[in-house]
Amino acid sequence: MLIRPISLSIPVFLAIFTFQEAVVNQFNLPGGGFSIFMIFALVWAIASTPEIAAFLGFGAGLLMDLSLSSGGRVGQWTLIMIVVCYGVSYLGYGDENIRGNPVGVVLFVVFASLAAEFLFIVTSLLLGVSVGNFNKILLILLGNFLWTLAITPMSLPIFSRLHLNIFETRSSK
Amino acid sequence: MRQGGGNRSRLLLISLIVTSLFLITLDLRGVSVLDGARTGTQNVLGPFQKAGNFVLTPVKNFFSYITHLGRTRTQLENLRIENSKLRRELIIRRNADGQLSQLKSILDLAGTAEYKVVNCRTISQGSGQSFSETITIDCGSNARIRKNMTVISQDGIVGVVKEVSANTSVVMLATDPTFRIGVRVAGTQQIGILSGRGSSTSTLQLLDNQTSIKAGDVLLARGSIANRPFVPGVPVGYVIDIDNSAGEIAQSGTVRYYANFNNLGVVAVVVGAPVTNPGDALVPAKPTPTPTPTVTIYVTPSPTPTN
Repeated sequence: MLIRPISLSIPVFLAIFTFQEAVVNQFNLPGGGFSIFMIFALVWAIASTPEIAAFLGFGAGLLMDLSLSSGGRVGQWTLIMIVVCYGVSYLGYGDENIRGNPVGVVLFVVFASLAAEFLFIVTSLLLGVSVGNFNKILLILLGNFLWTLAITPMSLPIFSRLHLNIFETRSSK
Repeated sequence: MRQGGGNRSRLLLISLIVTSLFLITLDLRGVSVLDGARTGTQNVLGPFQKAGNFVLTPVKNFFSYITHLGRTRTQLENLRIENSKLRRELIIRRNADGQLSQLKSILDLAGTAEYKVVNCRTISQGSGQSFSETITIDCGSNARIRKNMTVISQDGIVGVVKEVSANTSVVMLATDPTFRIGVRVAGTQQIGILSGRGSSTSTLQLLDNQTSIKAGDVLLARGSIANRPFVPGVPVGYVIDIDNSAGEIAQSGTVRYYANFNNLGVVAVVVGAPVTNPGDALVPAKPTPTPTPTVTIYVTPSPTPTN
């Protein structure tokens, strides 16, 4: 039942991931910049059931881990994205006040992104991966928060429409 | 909010989490497969990143300029100041190098003739509006400079000290129209008087009507009583043209000065003349003529065929 939408999601994920690596990562933005790929994964996770969200989180995290620009251990982002995607989907599923409200989705994505970054720092400390000094961590968390807050409203319509086309085509017919 | 995800959902979640923990464990244990996967991903992404970099470089530069506007301006300003400072230093250095070269040459000349000299820098050119040819040097009576002392450069005579203050002096150049100097021709020892005429050439008037000069003859200062205003033996110039007018009592000619009056950064004032006259010791070496290659072509007529 889920094979078709998930197989259709793979090229979309790969395309967004490539866009992140080839375009967004080119800019040395202040405050560490943003991850369009993470925003995309979180938007889709919110719009999906928890099971699918966990799958999406697994795939997204795996791709993030495979990027050489990822500083953590392989599997670290996978673990975090599974938890965060499942979490946002679980919390938002069935609550139309969140899923149906763009402002709610944006806030959900922003805080989920912040939570993912925070979890990355925690797990990095546990795994012995250096994450820099306190000021740098604070700056990156703040930068990520603001950038995500700025980018998510702009990308939300596109990502939501993509999700709608892939996952809910059959149900809408 | 949904309450629970069912057993299947929990099982799926646990399986995925265990998989991720498995990956972390493998990575911690240094399994090379994972490194290979990362490298492979980078190999795939590499061309896209290169293309992105190529396309986005102008945009990146623009954004970088915008985001670092204040810093860029400060940096630009600092670089401008530094550049200006370095340029000034370079000019000073070039100037110093030039002066050093001139000074060395002057000392060579003065050393050969055993002149005692005081080296001075030119600090001002005289005003052309007064129709006189003068320079101001940074040495005065404090440096034992007195009126009517000979001033030389590395090439030869420059002029004579006309006015002296404590720390500066005014030198009348040999090009000044009122400048007069007694000269002798190196070798033949003919004597004459050289008069400046406001240019790099001057007029030579021989005193003896029985003698003659020719182009290329070198003129040296004859020297004055008590060596003032002129010490003997200083190269003055060389004859470039001879006036053979029939009405002239004695031969005259045009002389080009050795000294380059447009390049008098450093000069030397002769404060002590040698005990013995240096004679022709200071005659500059003649320039070595550059041989002109000639090509000779021999044409041998070919025999006409006879039938």
